[in-house]
Amino acid sequence: MSGTGDQAPASVAELQDDLRGVGYLADRGLGTAALIALRLGRPLLLEGEVGVGKTELAKCLAALSGRELIRLQCYEGIDTHQALYEWDYARQMLHVRALSERALSDTETVGGLYAEDFLLERPLLKAVRSGGNAVLLIDEIDRADDEFEAFLLELLSDFQVTIPELGTLVADERPIVILTSNRTRELHDALKRRCLYHWIGFPTVSEEIEIVRVRAPEASDTLAKKVVDAVHRLRDMDLAKPPGVAETLDWVESLGAIQAVDLDAKTAVDTLGSVIKDRDDLEFVSGDIERVVPNG
Amino acid sequence: MNTAAEIVDRLVGFGTALREAALPVGTDDVLAFCEAVAELSPSDSEDVYWCGRTTLVNRRDHIAVYDEVFRRFFLHVPKGAERKHTKERHAPQGSTGTVNIPDAEPGEREAEEPPLILGLQASSLEIERTKRFSACSADELAAVRRMIARIRLEPPRRRTRRYCADASGSIIDVRRMARDAMNVNDVAPALLHMDRKRKPRPLVLLLDVSGSMADHSRNLLQFAYSMRRAAQKVEVFCFGTRLTRITPLLDRRTPDSAMRLAADKVMDWDGGTRIGDSIEAFVKDWGRRGLSRGATVMICSDGLDRGSPATLAMSIERLERLSHRIVWINPLHDATGGVPPTLAMAVVGPHIDEIASGNDLESLEALAARLPQIG
Repeated sequence: MSGTGDQAPASVAELQDDLRGVGYLADRGLGTAALIALRLGRPLLLEGEVGVGKTELAKCLAALSGRELIRLQCYEGIDTHQALYEWDYARQMLHVRALSERALSDTETVGGLYAEDFLLERPLLKAVRSGGNAVLLIDEIDRADDEFEAFLLELLSDFQVTIPELGTLVADERPIVILTSNRTRELHDALKRRCLYHWIGFPTVSEEIEIVRVRAPEASDTLAKKVVDAVHRLRDMDLAKPPGVAETLDWVESLGAIQAVDLDAKTAVDTLGSVIKDRDDLEFVSGDIERVVPNG
Repeated sequence: MNTAAEIVDRLVGFGTALREAALPVGTDDVLAFCEAVAELSPSDSEDVYWCGRTTLVNRRDHIAVYDEVFRRFFLHVPKGAERKHTKERHAPQGSTGTVNIPDAEPGEREAEEPPLILGLQASSLEIERTKRFSACSADELAAVRRMIARIRLEPPRRRTRRYCADASGSIIDVRRMARDAMNVNDVAPALLHMDRKRKPRPLVLLLDVSGSMADHSRNLLQFAYSMRRAAQKVEVFCFGTRLTRITPLLDRRTPDSAMRLAADKVMDWDGGTRIGDSIEAFVKDWGRRGLSRGATVMICSDGLDRGSPATLAMSIERLERLSHRIVWINPLHDATGGVPPTLAMAVVGPHIDEIASGNDLESLEALAARLPQIG
């Protein structure tokens, strides 16, 4: 499989099957979005509730295609030095000292200070250099500030990076690019326009049971069904922070860890911390556990 | 079988239909849509649906419109047919946005006014700086709003994660030193320093527009508009019985058109107040996602609440945890420091950092001056 489409899966169904093979269940919408992104070589922007598998898709696409996953975790104040490249100043200074001790300061040796040896590669530069061998995951882009978003525009449209001392580096082939956002703020339209867009919602009960089966095969079918039913009831309960799919899997895992074979009100209360992570919600749900895990 | 040209016409036609439904669909988006359809050679309309949703929609809010246009265009479902079962959500009768806001800016109305004689006072209205807004006439209020617009605003600042050169900074700037060292061919001639940059804090305004607050809120909307101009990040919400985000409306060039739009959008002007539910809605839909993180939140309300105090207590406590500072602007609050003993104010008291009155020009100016020190 490759970013420009020569070996990309022939159909959405095939890609869905491939993804399933590496433990990721994509519905038809997500499958189509991913396939178009692969075929057209365009970045894919994924938005959705927390814990519905946005980041996981990038990991699975990397596993599937045998490419290297390069992850850039965004945070407020991230700048080119943390995202793109930085010169190794300490080494440069030591080098300058060595040169001056031997009285070597002609233009050639000084020029050597800006050789690639002294370049510290950060995720974006790494992705440009790896080109078609990489899946670039730009995670939680909404956490970075506007300036950084503007900086990404150039990279995402041309896949080239200009380092003044070295020149312009161009990716030989476009990497697969996945961007994720939790919508803590609205992204700029210019950035969105360069991407394909997909909103990942919560899965249906049957889809989620399937996900539990694939990701946590050790759990019994009845337990999987009970947990998923309970999680869906929790999502209907108007909580401050409704649980995502990741929480469902955590819950199944926690139940496995205490070797519970069934989900009843007592085990549910004991393990509720793995699915509800807000104190107010926790109190609210514990007081009304019968609604989440009905008896019998 | 349709020819390729016919198919392209149909796809482009769909793009146009979306544009007519007010979705921002660019030519390049339509191009990507056609490319995507060509790549996938769809077998049924569901493939076309997903191709379009991936390439033509880039906002969750637009998905519903897209769905409707898609049904109409490709599946020939008449407009509105699917909506029959959904409950119509109308504001109760009599509460629609019929708000008359006198223009704060000279506009067409000026033509009717007699020409001004140079040398005299430009306006016959003189507003006492301490005259309560509630005692002002409509024209006086317009003048007040002109003056509010001139109040200089400087939001509180915070340290960011970025650095800038600063001689009195506390961190050694190795990068700059290395560069200098190479220039003079010497190593580390002097220590250079840097420090964290400072940036205005985001501001979040929650304005009560219920019956008891409507007049004040219009003035504060002007205040919000000025803030939106002064600070980089300002979010403005109105609430009465429910919460409405009006931030995008304040991007208008003139405050009057911004306010007219806001008046149309906010459905519960002059209705009752449910402060707790409104704050809870804010916390849930916006605060949790990080909108108020590190922000100064200004709530403007008189605290005459019809909602449940328990909800208010819980939501203000959550808001406190999600934001940097909370300032409560209460027009009933007087300069001597007395707060009217409403239940709501008693409930929120322990959670707010600052109370201001904001019921006359002087107090608004004082608040504007105080703002940089709050953060």
